Amino acid sequence: MEISGSVNMGWARVLIGGMCLGVLCSVSGRLAAQTGGQQGSEVAAKADTLPLPDAPLPAASTQQGGGPLSASSSLQASALNQPPSTGPSLGDLGLTPADTEGSAARQALMDRRTHMLKIHQRLGLITVIPVAAACISSVGAPPEKGNYSDTTSRDIHIALGATAVAMYAATASYAIRAPRVSHEPARGGVKWHKYLIYIHAPGMVLTPVLGAMAYNQIASGQKVHGIASAHSGVAVATAASYGAAIIAVSWPIHLKF
Amino acid sequence: MKKITPLLFLSITLPVYLLLNAQSPSPEQTWKLDQSTLTYHMSHPMHEVDGTSRAALGKGVCHAGQCDFLVAVPVKSFDSGDSNRDLHMIQTTRGAQFPIVSVRFRLAQAGLNAPTLDCDLEVQFAGNTAHYSHVVFQQTISGAAHRITGVVPATLSDFKIDPPSFLTIPIKNAIPVRVDMVWHAI
Repeated sequence: MEISGSVNMGWARVLIGGMCLGVLCSVSGRLAAQTGGQQGSEVAAKADTLPLPDAPLPAASTQQGGGPLSASSSLQASALNQPPSTGPSLGDLGLTPADTEGSAARQALMDRRTHMLKIHQRLGLITVIPVAAACISSVGAPPEKGNYSDTTSRDIHIALGATAVAMYAATASYAIRAPRVSHEPARGGVKWHKYLIYIHAPGMVLTPVLGAMAYNQIASGQKVHGIASAHSGVAVATAASYGAAIIAVSWPIHLKF
Repeated sequence: MKKITPLLFLSITLPVYLLLNAQSPSPEQTWKLDQSTLTYHMSHPMHEVDGTSRAALGKGVCHAGQCDFLVAVPVKSFDSGDSNRDLHMIQTTRGAQFPIVSVRFRLAQAGLNAPTLDCDLEVQFAGNTAHYSHVVFQQTISGAAHRITGVVPATLSDFKIDPPSFLTIPIKNAIPVRVDMVWHAI
């Protein structure tokens, strides 16, 4: 009995001693992991093989009032593929380098496209002025009461119409020459903007041709007849579709100042 | 001898066992983004536009009680309903050169089931990095699905993006991004 009692006491001491030793060692292990210190070299060596969390990156530079903060810095495209020491990378998400690497050449192409389409937009809006002026001046273009000799109003109308057609051609040229960056079908307002080309582009060719025919008929003392009589109708349809094309790319408009 | 044998055994095995356990106090865990809807809002005196992407990818990895998350979404995947506007958005945000928007954040593993998540976000977009501190997301847990909703208060100037203009009037600087994501632990 004495022997068994002393053995039990021995086991109790061993357990207590072992637990104390274990706790002490584990604490030193944690300290070594956090500080990377020299103590507990075996534990530190073990810790080095495991990925330890970095200091919280976002919080380090964002303590200004707790609100949204813009601590911007330049970033190279390749940096996107270099994750921090811990945490998943873009590759872990299944993204390939082809998905994540950008193209400066493609960006330059898009910049060029946008630049040309901005000029297209600006010229298109300016072209509204001569188109509207040509429509307004058309009121005085027909000969009044058989007076075929007074050509002033008609000449003004022709000048404004010619200006409108020339500016329309310049506007269209920027859209035509802008590089294509997507082969997907157009969606939204730009789709209607493109459909309306099939009305105002032929109209911009036909209107001056019919106008010239009508002018020649009037100049030779005739009443406007035949296909030339469609000049005003074609012009109105052209101007209307041109205006609709502008509205199409601006729609829907929600005025909120 | 009877005393020495168990003493030797315990003094060797117990510390080793405790040390090994001390290195991994929390279980390893991986999270996957199952569904997502990210919507940016653009405001102009004449237009209010929302562009939505459902193509975000995301993953979270937990170890040592900390979880690191990464969410990435292609810039070109945002759809505003107008292809010309979307192409212009890609050009303005330098999306051809920097095609991915990525968001990183870290959360304590113990707080992953909380109804609100306070996140410090690191957002890489348009070749620049911006940090947003204390962005609060709401969380609803239904079974294994963790649904996260909230708004990232992004602005154009955070990423050095020149605001595009329409009729010479530039769009507003604020482009808040509405987030609706469903995560699963795997």
